[in-house]
Amino acid sequence: MVPQGPKNDEDLAERLAKKTAEVSVLRRIAVDINSTLDLEPIYDMVLHTMDECFGFRHSIILLLEDADRLRVVASHGYEDPALGGTVAIGTGVIGMVAKRRRLMRVNHLRAQHAYFARIRSQMEEAGRAKELGEVVAVPGLEDADSQIAIPLVIKDKLIGVFSVESREPEPFSEHDETLVSIVASQAASAIQNALLYRAEEERRKELAEAHERLKQLNETLEERVRTRTRELEQANRDLRETQAQLVRSSTMASLGTLAAGIAHELNTPMGAIHSNADVERRAVRIIRGILRDASVADKLGPQPRLERTLRIFDDINQMTLEAAERVTKIVQSLKNFARLDQPELEYVDLHEGMESILTLMEHLIKDRIQVIKHYGELPKVKCYASQINQVFANVLTNAVEAIDGAGSITITTTQEESDVVIQVADTGRGIRPEHLERIFDPGFTTKGVGVGTGLGLSITYRIIENHQGLIHVESEPGRGTTFILRLPASKL
Amino acid sequence: MQEGKLPDEIKPVMESGIPAIVVTCSADGIPNATIISHVQYVDQTHIALSFQFFNKTIRNVRENSNACVALNDVVANTKWVMDVQYEHSETDGPIFDEMDMRIEAIASASGMAGIFKLRAADFYVVRSVRKVSF
Repeated sequence: MVPQGPKNDEDLAERLAKKTAEVSVLRRIAVDINSTLDLEPIYDMVLHTMDECFGFRHSIILLLEDADRLRVVASHGYEDPALGGTVAIGTGVIGMVAKRRRLMRVNHLRAQHAYFARIRSQMEEAGRAKELGEVVAVPGLEDADSQIAIPLVIKDKLIGVFSVESREPEPFSEHDETLVSIVASQAASAIQNALLYRAEEERRKELAEAHERLKQLNETLEERVRTRTRELEQANRDLRETQAQLVRSSTMASLGTLAAGIAHELNTPMGAIHSNADVERRAVRIIRGILRDASVADKLGPQPRLERTLRIFDDINQMTLEAAERVTKIVQSLKNFARLDQPELEYVDLHEGMESILTLMEHLIKDRIQVIKHYGELPKVKCYASQINQVFANVLTNAVEAIDGAGSITITTTQEESDVVIQVADTGRGIRPEHLERIFDPGFTTKGVGVGTGLGLSITYRIIENHQGLIHVESEPGRGTTFILRLPASKL
Repeated sequence: MQEGKLPDEIKPVMESGIPAIVVTCSADGIPNATIISHVQYVDQTHIALSFQFFNKTIRNVRENSNACVALNDVVANTKWVMDVQYEHSETDGPIFDEMDMRIEAIASASGMAGIFKLRAADFYVVRSVRKVSF
């Protein structure tokens, strides 16, 4: 491969043709390797072209792996491709080229290795073996005789080394050095672009994966938040319900105590009123008897005014007795409602409870709402009487409040197999469909802030549920509402 | 016989890397011949030899600056013989760096890194050069 001077025009033409061909190859390489951003095609193009066009049959590309090593990424013309093999920076021709970042063209390597091998033997024979290091096997031809190694540098940064070797006795020339330098320079640029592109693609993939992970995490988090929110909402409902129960229990307890106190305080004056009214009635009867006696009638003559007065006494007496009866009945209903004087779980006459509640609500009902009762034959139901009374109170209160002006409430009780069914139907304004599915939700109310707590029906629902019963509502806006309670007669 | 200037055709022979023979002589006339791994072409009138060990060759040229270098051209089957004279030594610069790099590259692969450390590049002026056929 040693260039000779031109001998004649023919030789000159031949050399010119060869040069032109070389330039064409170099230009093609430049275009081809820069038309792709994939590393493998770049390596193939460079190494194959070096062989096919310039006769460099054994070539190798190494890239910098870290500060201390180069790694073989591509090779051509070797039995063992040595892919993945490494070279330490500063060792051998390739390592020294990487260290010094200078091209090396070395010929008659075998002779030089033999020279150093002789020196090594002499040192070993002289007892200086410990000064010697290990002989290093580097990727490439074991019996290479010539080598050109050139650093691949982009903007002062080493990215690798490109090496060509030969076993041929003719060494590499300056011209060969020039060709390898040009190709290496183009290869360095193309490899750097491909590495940057690959790094960018990996980064983009990592970002996409991180984004996906974040998205999944976000969705999981949202789901967890939703679940937790539901749990908290439920806990809140439970808490409010419990609170309401406590308040009601406390209220009921207070009411019971109050009722007992009222009953006790009213008993004596009511007894006096009753007794006095009775005495007055007998006194009027005695006076009338005296006036009707013949001897008195003759002496007094007709006394229409006295007769009228006595009738007024009769009427007033009757009204007093009826009022006293009524007060007594109300106090008894109040006691029934609180049921303080009864054990908790018992067989109860549901009609009795219903009547107590109606009595207590009479002031809301009278002169406005007609109460129609269809009481069937019901067995006594085993239940917590105070709680069931609470249910009746809630349902009837809702019915009364739903009726604007005049209307009616129909109470129907029946027995269906082992259950008792109580229906309370009103002719009130009805419940809108979108509200219907929520009326048993704790806190739901249509009465406005501060007016209703929204807990009455949820407590009702819970009480019926605890009694292993069912509660169902049917309603139509403008047509009224019917509450249907079903209780097992004796399952508790 | 060509005197003083190195012809272009000797450059590839020097670059071939075939070890060369260097002959020196002490001040009291005792000759010494040794093999060196490389003769570095500097320019048409200068070559450089490696100074790695303080051996007889180095000692001789410090006493007697005249030396003779013989290069084998195994391709053309000829020998080049140069009469040179020691001029100066350099411990840095492009010639030193190139020689040092070459020596270290081969030595390190042979497990002898640092042992053949180049101490200096000895520069010789070429007094005469001739090609001799075998």
